[in-house]
Amino acid sequence: MNCLEFRRRVGAEPSVSGDDIEAHRRECAACARHQDELRAMDALIGRALAVDAERIRKIAPRRPRWLALAASIVIGLSVGLALWISSPRQSLAREVIDHVAHEPAAMTATVLIAPEVLAGVLDPVGTRLRPGIGDVTYARRCIFEWRVVPHLVVQTSQGPVTVLLLRHRNVSGPVRFAEQGYAGVVLPAPRGSIAIVGRDQKDLDGIAQQVFEAVDWGN
Amino acid sequence: MNRDDRGTDRRRRFATLCETLRPDLLRFAFWLGRDRELAEDVVQEALLRAWKSFDALAEEGKAKSWLLTIVRREFARSFERKRLEVADLDALVAAEATVLAAEDDAGLAEMREALFRLSDEYREPLVLQVMMGYTTQEIADQMGLQQGAVLTRLFRARARLRQELRLDAEPSP
Repeated sequence: MNCLEFRRRVGAEPSVSGDDIEAHRRECAACARHQDELRAMDALIGRALAVDAERIRKIAPRRPRWLALAASIVIGLSVGLALWISSPRQSLAREVIDHVAHEPAAMTATVLIAPEVLAGVLDPVGTRLRPGIGDVTYARRCIFEWRVVPHLVVQTSQGPVTVLLLRHRNVSGPVRFAEQGYAGVVLPAPRGSIAIVGRDQKDLDGIAQQVFEAVDWGN
Repeated sequence: MNRDDRGTDRRRRFATLCETLRPDLLRFAFWLGRDRELAEDVVQEALLRAWKSFDALAEEGKAKSWLLTIVRREFARSFERKRLEVADLDALVAAEATVLAAEDDAGLAEMREALFRLSDEYREPLVLQVMMGYTTQEIADQMGLQQGAVLTRLFRARARLRQELRLDAEPSP
């Protein structure tokens, strides 16, 4: 199986598996990542489709015929079935590290991101960067914990750091971590939190503070 | 079991199915027609039809698929009756903003809007696959298509969503 065949398959069925799929995943890290991204996107699609049915019912006009039927067959019956399936989630630190480790090319990018591209990544979440943060050499919208989040790489005085703006994730205080050669911190932010991850920074907290102060979280 | 008991049992079984599956049927109809009033109408009519032909359901384990098929047919009938035309997409999104809203989760709301804007031919198989858990063969049977056509539509649906959300776009096969 070549890359094109693989991507056709997983593009139609991200959850597909099998010997040929697994073999190609082992051979091609980019395709494996592509499938992982599609699986993450499917999780987001699943959440998006699961609109609150009550909102549809509450707003839509009721029809007497349905009420009559419902009254005759539903009233008096109490059937409650709730199945909440939750899978154990990795810690936030592990999720952040895994995400960064999955995109090694991001940390080595050197070409400056155009302002309009950066705006395209940040505008949807109502965020922007103040001048002076440093050169942004990577900007992409990624799926992280079933959410679309901005993923940036900023060139600081101590080297590149990855920045993830996690508006959906609240932390009560700084969460520091060091794994797989990465060191990082997740800081509480006005909207959710911000994760800053580097490799060789001597003063990561100082860098993290600079990055944090350069983010305008909007209203 | 006498006749009255059988009738009561039949009503109870149908009511249980309605209560369990109605939210999914409403969601399916909503994503099919992109109109909450139409969704409610279609599901009501579909359940009435289902009630009348409930005895034709051989296995209750297949009730969801059976009801979805009825909803889909009822939707096609409504579509014929009302001759719905694809209105301005912006207006459609605005009209259903309450249902599409996702408080404090801009990414989720964006995805909902992107799904809303997908054309019918791409949105329906994606809904059947992701929300209903259908296999591509089941989708093909439901939609009266070849499996290959379903695979192509699903691929393109995701490619368009990635493009719309400015995730990495993939070329069409």
